[in-house]
Amino acid sequence: MTSPLTLTPGRRADGTPRLAVGGEIDMSNVGSLAEALDRGSGPLVLDLTAVEYLDSAGLSVLFAHADRLELVVTPLLEPVLTVSGLSGLVTVRGPGDDGPRP
Amino acid sequence: MFAADREVGRDLAEVDWAGTPLGPPGEWPQSLRTAVSILLSSRFPMWMAWGEQLTFFCNAAYRRDTLGRKYPWALGRPANEVWAEVWDDAGPRIETVLTTGEATWDEGLLLLLERSGYSEETYHTFSYSPLRDDVGDVVGMLCVVTEDTDRVIGQRRMATLRDLGSDPSLIRTEQEVLAFADGQLGHNRKDLPFTLTYLFDGDTARLAGASGIGAGHPVAPATLAAGASGGVWPAAVPAGGEAVLVPLTGDAFAGLPTGDWSEPPLQALVVPLLRQGGAPYGFFVAALNRYRVLDEGYRGFVELAAGHIASGIGSARGYQAQQRRAEELSELDRAKTTFFSNISHEFRTPLSLIMGPVEELRDRLAGAEGPVLQELDVIRRNGLRLGKLVNTLLDFSRIEAGRMQARYEPVDLAGVTAELASVFRSAMERAGLAFDVDCPPLDEPVYVDRGMWEKVVLNLLSNALKFTFHGAVRVVVGTAGEHAVVTVTDTGVGVPEAELPRVFERFHRIENTRSRSNEGSGIGLALVQELVGLHGGTIGVESGEGEGTAFTIRLPFGTAHLPPGAVAPEAGDTVASATADPYVLEALHWLPGGDPAGAADDPVGRAGASTAGTGPARGTGARVLLADDNSDMREYLTRILDGAGYQVTAVDDGAEALATARRDIPDLVVSDVMMPRLDGLELVARLRGDTRTASVPVLLLSARAGQEASIEGLRAGADDYLVKPFAAAELLARVRANVELARLRGHHVRWRTALIDSLQEAFFVCDESGAVVEINAAFTDILGYGPENLPYAPVQPWWPRAATDPEAHRRVGDAFSGLPERDQGSYTVPVTHRDGHRLWITVTYSKAEDPDTGRQVTVGTLRDVTAEHYAVRRETALAALSTALSTAASLSEALAGALGGLKTLWGARSVVAALFGGGDTPVLTTTEEPRNGESRSWEDLPAARREALTALRGQPSLTPVTEDGGAGVPLEHPDGPLVLWIDLGAYRPFTAEDQLLLSLLAGHLAQGLVRAQQIDQQRETAIALQRAILGPARLPDGFAVRYEPATRPLEVGGDWYDTVALPDGRIGIVVGDCVGRGLEAASVMGQLRSACRALMLQYAGPSRTLMALDQFAASVPGALCTTVFCGVLDPATGELTYSSAGHPPGILALPDGTTRLLEEGRSLPLAVRPGRQRPEATCTLPARSTLLLYTDGLVERRRRPLNTGIDQAGDAVQDGRDVPIDDLATEVMSRLAPVGGYDDDVALLLYRHPAPLDISFPAESSQLAPVRKALRGWLAQCDLPANTVQNVLVAAGEACANAIEHGHRHAPGDAVRLRAEALVDNLLLTVADSGRWKVPRPDPNAHRGRGVALMRALMQDVSITPGPSGTTVDMQMRIPR
Repeated sequence: MTSPLTLTPGRRADGTPRLAVGGEIDMSNVGSLAEALDRGSGPLVLDLTAVEYLDSAGLSVLFAHADRLELVVTPLLEPVLTVSGLSGLVTVRGPGDDGPRP
Repeated sequence: MFAADREVGRDLAEVDWAGTPLGPPGEWPQSLRTAVSILLSSRFPMWMAWGEQLTFFCNAAYRRDTLGRKYPWALGRPANEVWAEVWDDAGPRIETVLTTGEATWDEGLLLLLERSGYSEETYHTFSYSPLRDDVGDVVGMLCVVTEDTDRVIGQRRMATLRDLGSDPSLIRTEQEVLAFADGQLGHNRKDLPFTLTYLFDGDTARLAGASGIGAGHPVAPATLAAGASGGVWPAAVPAGGEAVLVPLTGDAFAGLPTGDWSEPPLQALVVPLLRQGGAPYGFFVAALNRYRVLDEGYRGFVELAAGHIASGIGSARGYQAQQRRAEELSELDRAKTTFFSNISHEFRTPLSLIMGPVEELRDRLAGAEGPVLQELDVIRRNGLRLGKLVNTLLDFSRIEAGRMQARYEPVDLAGVTAELASVFRSAMERAGLAFDVDCPPLDEPVYVDRGMWEKVVLNLLSNALKFTFHGAVRVVVGTAGEHAVVTVTDTGVGVPEAELPRVFERFHRIENTRSRSNEGSGIGLALVQELVGLHGGTIGVESGEGEGTAFTIRLPFGTAHLPPGAVAPEAGDTVASATADPYVLEALHWLPGGDPAGAADDPVGRAGASTAGTGPARGTGARVLLADDNSDMREYLTRILDGAGYQVTAVDDGAEALATARRDIPDLVVSDVMMPRLDGLELVARLRGDTRTASVPVLLLSARAGQEASIEGLRAGADDYLVKPFAAAELLARVRANVELARLRGHHVRWRTALIDSLQEAFFVCDESGAVVEINAAFTDILGYGPENLPYAPVQPWWPRAATDPEAHRRVGDAFSGLPERDQGSYTVPVTHRDGHRLWITVTYSKAEDPDTGRQVTVGTLRDVTAEHYAVRRETALAALSTALSTAASLSEALAGALGGLKTLWGARSVVAALFGGGDTPVLTTTEEPRNGESRSWEDLPAARREALTALRGQPSLTPVTEDGGAGVPLEHPDGPLVLWIDLGAYRPFTAEDQLLLSLLAGHLAQGLVRAQQIDQQRETAIALQRAILGPARLPDGFAVRYEPATRPLEVGGDWYDTVALPDGRIGIVVGDCVGRGLEAASVMGQLRSACRALMLQYAGPSRTLMALDQFAASVPGALCTTVFCGVLDPATGELTYSSAGHPPGILALPDGTTRLLEEGRSLPLAVRPGRQRPEATCTLPARSTLLLYTDGLVERRRRPLNTGIDQAGDAVQDGRDVPIDDLATEVMSRLAPVGGYDDDVALLLYRHPAPLDISFPAESSQLAPVRKALRGWLAQCDLPANTVQNVLVAAGEACANAIEHGHRHAPGDAVRLRAEALVDNLLLTVADSGRWKVPRPDPNAHRGRGVALMRALMQDVSITPGPSGTTVDMQMRIPR
């Protein structure tokens, strides 16, 4: 059994592609997240507001795409991002802060 | 429906249900389905029966515990077929349930089950409750069973062992010990259908005890050959210390008693009755219960029972031997003491009163007819002989009491010996024997006491003469190395070889030996040996029967071997004193045609050797003391007076005259006036100043003529005055007149002196200053100090020395220094005899007024109470030792306590005990303080001491040895030979009394140690059995329990704890306390515990459980007033419902540091008011709180409010907030234990909420989500801040992910284990796998390295321990308050 994970693509108000992720990310399902990220190449807003768990397997995928990602997270994930150093490489926003208006 | 249990469910599914009245399962009513699934999901053993044939179902637990080989055959069969062998018991009960609808209850019912291939004795506690169908009719029954076999049998065996050890009288005879044991064994005919006890007695084994079987039974022969390997019992096997199992088959064993069973036993175990350090006493035959296998427990029980019997026999035999020995010793002691003290004064006085008049009669009747004189000579000769015997006995008495006053002076041993021998010459010649005296002068003098040496030589010569009829007697003096050697050889009858060792034994006479006389006391040679021993010498004997005998004496040269105080300068030539007379007279009398009368006149030609003081008494017999410094004058006067029949003692000067007069008061003193040291006038003054000599008449001789000189002399107190030169006749006239006058005048004084001297008690007079001015003979006898050194001013010389014995010095000081002040009194004090040995005396004194001077004096008596003192001391010491041994809780404590007692008793520097057990080096116990915190070991002893102790080990048991300022004694310790050593420090005498006492104490100690060892063994047995009865085998997670029996007296009790897993996942918790102690309380406890378990399963609510338990307790004797705390805990929510039957409140330690008591839901103890409603209360255990339940032994102390103890317990739990729960239980138990251990038993139960999470899962990534879910749920129970939860989740997730990766790599699918435990302020996480981790490398691209970094960043303490079988990650996180 893999951990449940939902991936919902969309666009932000400014038109930037946006991928909303929900559930728990671990080594059992990180492959599907990687596939989704590998499909695009330009900047991407990755909305992790509904992610309840993220471990080093998930972080590795995010590091691989760090130069094109902008993250939206709840305070729950902040310690992991800070500890791993990812928050120094990508823009991290809180929920409701939907980035620059067009 | 059958899925609740995989195995049993599968087998149930395979039953051909269609062939049973129940039909296929698909058609079963809902009620039956429910009943089956309850049954299968329970871990408690259950079976049920349903429908008209009572079709049988059971669950896995029942299969395991009870059904055994009948599984799976039994499933689906009629119950009466399944349990055919017990249907007589079970059938009626089930019938009752089915007809009345009421449940039944049976406690510890005996069932003989066939489950293990033989008929097995088992016990079960079970209840049958009704099962109803969908419309409510009773159609079946459910049976909940607990097997109690181990408990019941364990209790039964424990009872037998306790009863065996409960012999109320400490020690009895062997017969009583065995009769008692048989009585106790006979109470347990289940385990021991019959027993036989055989004791080895030489080549046979004798039947000494039996239980459960008649004495005349064919398998109980009265005797067996001890070496038999066949026959009824193979005695040779236990004789070799081995046990053997004997099958009781064949004709020889027909008609055996069956014990409590209906069938006879099939086997018997024959075990040796082992003896410490020796061959077995005998053996013990135990017929075995045919319904139990002989497992380790059963065998151990039989061996322990045999051990009890063996130690009983050992104690009884040891005690009797000891008793006999002690009685013999003290009886001998008493007899000797009585004999010698009676004889001393009783014989001497009448003897002198016989001998005096005889001498006078001989003089007076010198011219009378022959026969009269001859008869007088017979009287005189026998009187002398009697006197000699009495003197010899008195010498013994003195030597025994250490009162022999020796004066060792340097003498020419060859000369003295030759002279003594010459005394016997004429007797030898008359006997027709050659007498060869070969005594060339030695190079150096030998120190001897002349008086003693005379007795040695005279005895040997007299002995030689007595037993020699032809040939020669030879005396030779020579030198061999450092010794002077004196040999007395004869050619007499000799001594038979068998008698040689006993030649020197006291009162031993060799019978049927030809001798010159049949008279003899058998004491002479014994005295010789003692006297030679006092000189530090040895005497040996060689003899051939019919060839003769040679006695060889060796005396060391020099003085090193002699007591320093007794060595004196050479005193001069005084030989052949009056001592010789009796010996020679006696010897002459033996000779054929011997003429005693003639011999008595001049038996040894003594005229030639005559010197002052030894003249024969032919005159008035008055004794004259003559003092003159001029030797010519002295000899002249001696000749005159001697010639007139006076006994003259001549001395050189006044000082010597004074000393002589005080020692032996003369009838008259004749003294020159002008003398060195002390002149005549001064001598008169001194004599007058001493009460004892005040009335002795003094005749002064002076060269000074004239009235004035004579007036001066008379004024000084002289009775008469004679001016030189004077005529002999004049002197004799004056002497006679003065003696006559003095006899008249001094009658009362002499009477008084005689009276005082004849007192057996010592008598003394003190003047106002406390100085002793007068004493009697007994005083000298007791203390060794004579009248010659009077007065004795304080501090008197018999005071113990302040330097070596301050305590004794102080006691004597208190007694003697107060004499002049007090009117009267009595003291018992230690004093020192002149020769240095210790005495105890009782002094009684009172004030008196000297009628002559009007001065106050103190008159006192003293008695030698040494023997009484030591007897009292002996009793006291034995009592103290007994007390120390009986209060000791263990073998080592008993030994240590006894050593302390010995140290105090002898005021010793230290006492050590070396136990030569099985190890390489002996085990040491000592009274010495530990050095640097380590107790002294064998290696700490000086090498010389180690050697001495090792040497002592080989000595006979209980025989003390004295050496090097100490005393040692070997004895038997249960673990091997033990040697005790008492270090007395500086030289202190260890007397015969001390040795006797030490021997008695050592014997007592040996027995005490055996008893202490038995107590040790009983303690271990008791605790093991109690623990077997207690407690669930598997404790739910999060719990910790403890049970501790009371320390002293060691007893199990009625406290218990229990946890019960309820079917709904909740946990029943019970802590209870039955009234009383000992086996009885333990047995009540066992029943209540079983009942409470079953009731909790039935009711699942604490108040209802307790109410039902009320009913049960009311029917169990001894269960009244049991207190119980009963609770039901939901481990998921922490909700605890509880009810307390008079039990102390539970303690709940909260994470904020405060403590709460669970005081609600309280009501009366059990069975006080059965039927009354019980309240219950509910509380929720907050996350990370700790619950403590206990019995009152934990907190109750004398003279202290209960609250204090409860507070302490609460503090102890709070202080252990960061300790895992099991360690916390240990901490609480040890912290609350009183000094010396708990005096009541204690049960304790701890739970910390939530219980640790412990899950195992296969190493597959699909497991991560469910594991995370479980952990998330558990963390929620822990009540932690949200970000803490997330950190723990990620860290644990990383560890699990690592484990899964490595598990895949090395062993796919292997289990990973996650354990999480919440302490109060800390969270502990452990993830263990079966793989090996790579050392993390700082590779940013490797996300595994990142995982470890994450773990380290999120948790506070991370350690990764790789091992051969897998890797373990331990992580900790501090929980913020």
